[in-house]
Amino acid sequence: MKKLLCSLLLAASASIFVVQAKAQVIVIANPSVKASDVSKNDLKDVFTGASTSLSGANVVPILLKAGTAHEEFLQAYIGKNDTAYRAGWRSLVFSGQGTMPKTLDGDAAVVEFVAHNSGAIGYIGKATPHEGVKVLTVR
Amino acid sequence: MKQTLFRDVAGTVLLALTASICLHAQEFKIGTESIQVHGFGTQGYIKTNDNNWLTMNTSGGGSAAFTDMGLNASSQIRSNLRIAGQVYLRKLGQLGDWRPLLDWAMVDYRPKPWLGFRAGKVKTVLGLFTDSQDMDFSNTYALLPQSVYPIDLRDATIAHIGGDIYGKAKLTHNLGSVAYTAYGGLRWDNMHSGYPFLLQTYGITLASYGGPVYGGDFRWKTPMRGLTVGMSRLNQQITGKGSYDGRIGIPATPHYVEYSKQDWTNQYYGQLVKDKFHAESEYRRYLRNQVVFNGITWVETDVRGWYVGGGYQVNKWFEAGSYYSHYRLFATAGPGVTTAYSDPEEHNFDKVVTAKFLLPKSITLKLEGHFMDGNGSALYPAGFYANVNPNGFADNTNALVARTGFSF
Repeated sequence: MKKLLCSLLLAASASIFVVQAKAQVIVIANPSVKASDVSKNDLKDVFTGASTSLSGANVVPILLKAGTAHEEFLQAYIGKNDTAYRAGWRSLVFSGQGTMPKTLDGDAAVVEFVAHNSGAIGYIGKATPHEGVKVLTVR
Repeated sequence: MKQTLFRDVAGTVLLALTASICLHAQEFKIGTESIQVHGFGTQGYIKTNDNNWLTMNTSGGGSAAFTDMGLNASSQIRSNLRIAGQVYLRKLGQLGDWRPLLDWAMVDYRPKPWLGFRAGKVKTVLGLFTDSQDMDFSNTYALLPQSVYPIDLRDATIAHIGGDIYGKAKLTHNLGSVAYTAYGGLRWDNMHSGYPFLLQTYGITLASYGGPVYGGDFRWKTPMRGLTVGMSRLNQQITGKGSYDGRIGIPATPHYVEYSKQDWTNQYYGQLVKDKFHAESEYRRYLRNQVVFNGITWVETDVRGWYVGGGYQVNKWFEAGSYYSHYRLFATAGPGVTTAYSDPEEHNFDKVVTAKFLLPKSITLKLEGHFMDGNGSALYPAGFYANVNPNGFADNTNALVARTGFSF
């Protein structure tokens, strides 16, 4: 019984942790992007090169080089680790179907770039100041 | 023998490690435009128990004459405008010969998601993997199923000089999405490719081989998550020019010409990708009626190939895969051309198992076993060439393929 209780507590803690972890990354876009929300599938399509548009308008994905927000984003919305994710993009690059998204060093650089480039869409840690960009709700 | 194998595999892994550590993706600016540079390379080793395969001396101590590499540059000028190009070179036994080629180079303008244009030397979309066949790091297998993706005939379908119209559209009522590509242009083969190499057996030395091509691809990403089905069509009008030395009874000529009477490919495919699992199957029919020897006679080869395969990523480091590849050739010809071949010369049934290791720094190492029934060596290239098998062919071939690669 004790073991069962411990297991349940552990599982509950883990699930709270996962929920909190997912909530730590937000998706941002240049104000020119018409959409105010995005489905998980559409977001995945844009960030894997399967689609280049949201709500009928062209968008350009921006990546983080590494870090917690990057890992959480890949885990929550793409379902691949960084190696597999970048390999997928390289396939598009070498077959002539896409260009590797711009990769920036940190959250602040992503905010700066997204704010000043029409159609740009990226992701950052929730706590990062993000003036000049709009936050997209992920459905 | 084991020492040779160990030495070659260790050598190729070391080469990939060195390259991967030394080479990184680069991004620099010319004026206001950012240019990205990426690359890839592979080194392979093949050992067969009998028959030399893929123009290599594989049946002796095995052969490591199996290298390819590509260097790619691209620039996203605007969100809907991109330029990109790639240089590629390879050595595959007697083919490729380390000559760097402009693999493709194009401008891509996509004003709408459902409407885009590509112009230049553009990779040809044909089935699931024609345009991505060189990306060893993304494929499970060391060699794609040779019944549909013959590596010795890579040049024949890899790119065309011309243009594409393409696009994608979501369907209503949650019916998934569709993607289309229509293309037209010219194809010109490298003279260090499989078909010119085969013709050398008959005393023909080609100086040029190519002509107009057009076709299309249509694929449907179905509502069932991860399932894509599609079909492709390719039509060609190919002319080959060169010289012929009179080796097989027809009078010699310094001005040899052959040309297409009929040349088309139909390909149907389906792929299911679910998390760490993928499965795919394709059927390709390639019908080619070629008027040869300056119009004296003709050769018709009707190649029907299909495969079914799949892979599962067991953990972060390891993926297991397997496929069955079925190649069957039906050959007919005009006067002066022999088509009486034994059954093994008209088919190749290949059972394959693959172990793919995902190493750090985007390096892959694959070990693959091929168990082939038949050699498909009649009249049209299918991996086994009389030029490198002067004592004739054994009916069956087992092969070990080791291949390592890197990309950046």
